[in-house]
Amino acid sequence: MATPEDANASLKTEVSEIASVHPNQSPKSGVSSAKPPQESTRSLWLRRTVILSFWAVAVLLGLPVWWKTTAIYRSDLPLQAMSDWAEGKIGKPVFPLRIAVEAPILPQDTHSLIQTTQHVLDDLNEFSAHQLRLMPVDPPLTANASQHVVVDGTRNSGDDKDTTLLIRLIPVETGETPRSYLQPYSPTLHVYYSPSHISSVSSTASPLAAFIARELHDIFAEEQAQLAYLLSTTSGEHIAKVHSLPQETAAELQRRSTRVLKYAPTYHLTFSLFTPTSTPSAWDIEAALRQYMAPLLESFSAISNFTIDTQVQLYATLSPSFPPPEYDENAKAWTLRNEDLSGFINAAEWPLSPSIADGPTVNFALYVPEQSQSPLLVKDSGASSWLVPQWGGVAILNPPSTEQDAAPLSALSKEALAPAMQTFSNQLISLLGLPQTPASLPLRLSTLTRVRAASLVFSASSTLGALAQVYQKLPSIPVPDTVAKSVDLALQHLQQACDELREGRFQGALEHARIADGEAEKAFFERSMVGQVYFPDEHKVAVYLPLLGPIAVPLLMAALKEIKNEVAAFKARRAAS
Amino acid sequence: MGLGARTKVLLGVREEVVGALTDKVGAADFGVGDTELRGALVTSGHRRLAHELLCDISDYHERLILRPLPQSTLLASFNFRSNESSIAFEQQNFRYFPRSLGQILQHAHTKELHLRFSVGRWDAESWGQRPWHGAREGGNGVELWAWIEADNDDEAFTRWQTLVNSLSGLFCASLNFIDATRTIRPVMAFEPEGDHRNASNLHLLHGTLPHEVVCTENLTPFLKLLPCKGKAGISSLLDGHKLFDASFQTMAIDVRPVCDEQGQDCLLEMDQSVDMVLDVVRSKRPQDNPIPRPPPIEEIQCDSSKYYNAEDTCYPFNSGAEPSWSLKEIFGRPLKGACPLTEAGEGSETLCINTPPERTIQVETEGQFAESRTSSDTVRCYKLPVGSNFDLVLPEQQMTTGLVLPEPPLSASRSINGHGQERGSAQSVIKNPSSTDAVEFVYLESLPWFMRPYLHTLRAHVDTTTENPVKETFYRPAVDRQRGSHLEIRMVIPPASTLTLTYDFEKAILRYTEYPPDANRGFDAAPAVIRILSPNRSGDRKGIYLRTTPLLLSLPTPDFSMPYNVIILTSTVMALGFGNIFNLLVRRFVGVDEAPQNGGFKGVLQDKIARLTGRFKKS
Repeated sequence: MATPEDANASLKTEVSEIASVHPNQSPKSGVSSAKPPQESTRSLWLRRTVILSFWAVAVLLGLPVWWKTTAIYRSDLPLQAMSDWAEGKIGKPVFPLRIAVEAPILPQDTHSLIQTTQHVLDDLNEFSAHQLRLMPVDPPLTANASQHVVVDGTRNSGDDKDTTLLIRLIPVETGETPRSYLQPYSPTLHVYYSPSHISSVSSTASPLAAFIARELHDIFAEEQAQLAYLLSTTSGEHIAKVHSLPQETAAELQRRSTRVLKYAPTYHLTFSLFTPTSTPSAWDIEAALRQYMAPLLESFSAISNFTIDTQVQLYATLSPSFPPPEYDENAKAWTLRNEDLSGFINAAEWPLSPSIADGPTVNFALYVPEQSQSPLLVKDSGASSWLVPQWGGVAILNPPSTEQDAAPLSALSKEALAPAMQTFSNQLISLLGLPQTPASLPLRLSTLTRVRAASLVFSASSTLGALAQVYQKLPSIPVPDTVAKSVDLALQHLQQACDELREGRFQGALEHARIADGEAEKAFFERSMVGQVYFPDEHKVAVYLPLLGPIAVPLLMAALKEIKNEVAAFKARRAAS
Repeated sequence: MGLGARTKVLLGVREEVVGALTDKVGAADFGVGDTELRGALVTSGHRRLAHELLCDISDYHERLILRPLPQSTLLASFNFRSNESSIAFEQQNFRYFPRSLGQILQHAHTKELHLRFSVGRWDAESWGQRPWHGAREGGNGVELWAWIEADNDDEAFTRWQTLVNSLSGLFCASLNFIDATRTIRPVMAFEPEGDHRNASNLHLLHGTLPHEVVCTENLTPFLKLLPCKGKAGISSLLDGHKLFDASFQTMAIDVRPVCDEQGQDCLLEMDQSVDMVLDVVRSKRPQDNPIPRPPPIEEIQCDSSKYYNAEDTCYPFNSGAEPSWSLKEIFGRPLKGACPLTEAGEGSETLCINTPPERTIQVETEGQFAESRTSSDTVRCYKLPVGSNFDLVLPEQQMTTGLVLPEPPLSASRSINGHGQERGSAQSVIKNPSSTDAVEFVYLESLPWFMRPYLHTLRAHVDTTTENPVKETFYRPAVDRQRGSHLEIRMVIPPASTLTLTYDFEKAILRYTEYPPDANRGFDAAPAVIRILSPNRSGDRKGIYLRTTPLLLSLPTPDFSMPYNVIILTSTVMALGFGNIFNLLVRRFVGVDEAPQNGGFKGVLQDKIARLTGRFKKS
């Protein structure tokens, strides 16, 4: 192949030949000295217009079309409101509890008793978001039209379900007074007093008022601590305003909150019988559940629903990596080490898959050890059951000790299951986060309602906050309209939940908080948002470059050349002038 | 349950066992006539039902039947049956019924389920009739059909989707790929096996995945569903290495409700079965040394009639003797005693072997076992010991008599004819070997949408008569990318005749993304299902089935780097056109002699070099 120089040389000679053939041409048109004629202004401007129009098409039409067709649809989200909720700037939950007081005394006396007690109570209370409001109720027997006095318009009737606690004052002649008794199965506090206490109700030093206030404070102390802990952990805004919890209380609450299951409207309870041999192969679980579980689940029905399934799994051996139990001579029992318990559940082999429907599954595993390894206990503590945080519970059922050669138990009766069922009930209670005090079950459930509502509000708010952050930090993810709709719904229900809380309707608040949390989760986990988070730029380059490269280079070069010429001409003109 | 009822139960069990065995192991060849057999089976069916209803608690049965086949092969039929009362099932109190499967069935409102995983082909010419009359086997790959309760077709399909997706997770199979294009609603080919008097609005849906490779990961979940989990009982013999090395194997799961006469007390019965045909010589190879090597020449008995025998070469003498084998050698692991859940009495005889009476069988075990012989001593059943290993050893033996294999009622083969990538034709050849009975059957084809049959080219031809064998046709044409073709034909073959069914089809061209990663392998078309309507010898509600092999359809396959090539080529053409026009518009054209001398890149470069050298010289 000829080098460019050769080609040029041959061209030159050719041109010179042509020149020699036409000797009559003017000598001016010699090869070295020839100059192109001055370009006319018209053609100059024509060229510039052409270049400019190409650029105009590329920039004004091409770019917008490209931008429009490759843009990702992102619907508008109320980012400010979302982060405000997450930071706790709006919707601070307050918990005004209504406590009805029923007293067989004159309404005036009741009124003053309530006022005094309220005063003492407010002095005792250190947590502003949680308030106890006392209000009178007519004693049913003495109620009549003449005594009907409206107090502050907040007069309450005894059967209102928004009333958290009913204090019933009962005059007694004998025994130590004042004394109180909390009904275990109804939200009622009986306060026994001697009629002499009533005379001094108006003074702040009234022993009855102080007694009631102290009792109430004690009853709601754990709830206050729980709510305060919740506020302090979930939202930075609140920390300063919350009175500092004692270290050990906080640690205890922390321990308890880590094991509690995430709130869900429906839980699936799975009761499984595991045994490493073929016996026992049957259990009277249906009757046992009816007797030991059903009442408990019934009382929880206001908060969550439960479905139950059971299974029997034979030949369910422990995992091969699990250290085998050791025989303890002193206790005459086989023991498992405390630190090994987390590996007890053989997740690879035991069919403990979650239930198929929506909602979390709580597993309760009853393990019947082999005859030769019975009794099986946890070392040191000697316990035979333990709780697996946020998962369920395990109980070991050691068959009653019989002679070695006796036939192993083939079926477990309802009575044999009783201790295990009681263990499971307790485990379920702690997994659901039911507080340990006070003694009255309805009161504990209503506390749970408030704590759950508050935690759902916080969880929904923080989910919304996280969504707002994702929206701002990842500009490449698409945000469909359904997300915006869900966010709007979540914000609405959050607001409603807080309003309901403020007005003391906790059941309704829980309902709204549940919807808000569900919608917030739905918005955050929208599938189409996850799909195209990563679409590498290399792909775009690979697709565009073969087209854009060859087109962009002439366009750019032409523009550069024209600008250079214009600059040179401008300089020349300046130099000339 | 009184004493009388208990006796009845035991009686029922005994009858059932005898019935099942005669049914299974070819009593037809041992003096029991067809009609007699059918009668016995019908009674046994009734008794069994009665027995199941008397036992209102859930129970469990298992049985393994071994049967040596010609060409030193062995058929092993495992059957596991667990019952759960429907009340316990509704309340989700699972005992022998697996919780995972039970919840799926409840969630998808499935009343009856049949799931099959199969590999290999049943060689009916050498092996005779299929196990369970073909009612417990599926087409190659995965086959699933179910009766689903739903108000309308759409709801049924939604629930079907739930079902296949959940089963996909449970069995580690790609069942979730059974979408609308692979689902059909058969009209004649399947009948429910269970009692569905209480259920209304049942929809039958059927899906196949002929491409699915069935392997060990499907066996593990299958074993987990069993109460004894492969740790005791006959299931302890099931090993993935041997099972999937078999010449033919099929795993089946059948769930059906069984009710009493009034339809009051119902049970949910789950039948799990594994049928496999093992090559004895191949299975006996040790697992650590699976490559077959010739034994040393001293150990070979030479066939001296061959002229080429020499010092170091030898043609092995074929004595025609039955090879020696033992359970442990064949299955690669010992039988770990009985599963203690099986009932006492006849139901506890969980291992049966069907051989001629003179075949020597040695039992090796340390525990207590019991042997019983039935059907003119051709069936030997063993009650296995609990907790100790059990082995059967059959030495090499020269046999004078053999078992006569019952002949299959029909044999069928299907193939693709034609050439090229555009059209083809499918041909099914179905033979009736019986010299006396005409056979009526339903032929079901479920074709993928990209295989478009031309129904007007459908021809059915019988070689012995000119009469049209087609009695009834049901056809639902395919819709591209939405559903496949569904063809059902009811036909009759006269005795000793061959029926040839042909139709032409066109191959569709798929979209780029619709090709699988191994597009050049071809596309599988599901096996055709043949259900024999009459004569029905099985006597129960399971029916008689056989299936053809799947078809491999080669479709026109594109070059998969095409899109990028297209982008590059189009861009180049566009860039060329654009460059030319643009240059024509913006360049100024001057004479050659008028062009600047040192223009262009070369000039600039020369200029630069000159300047640099000048500078160096200066310094």
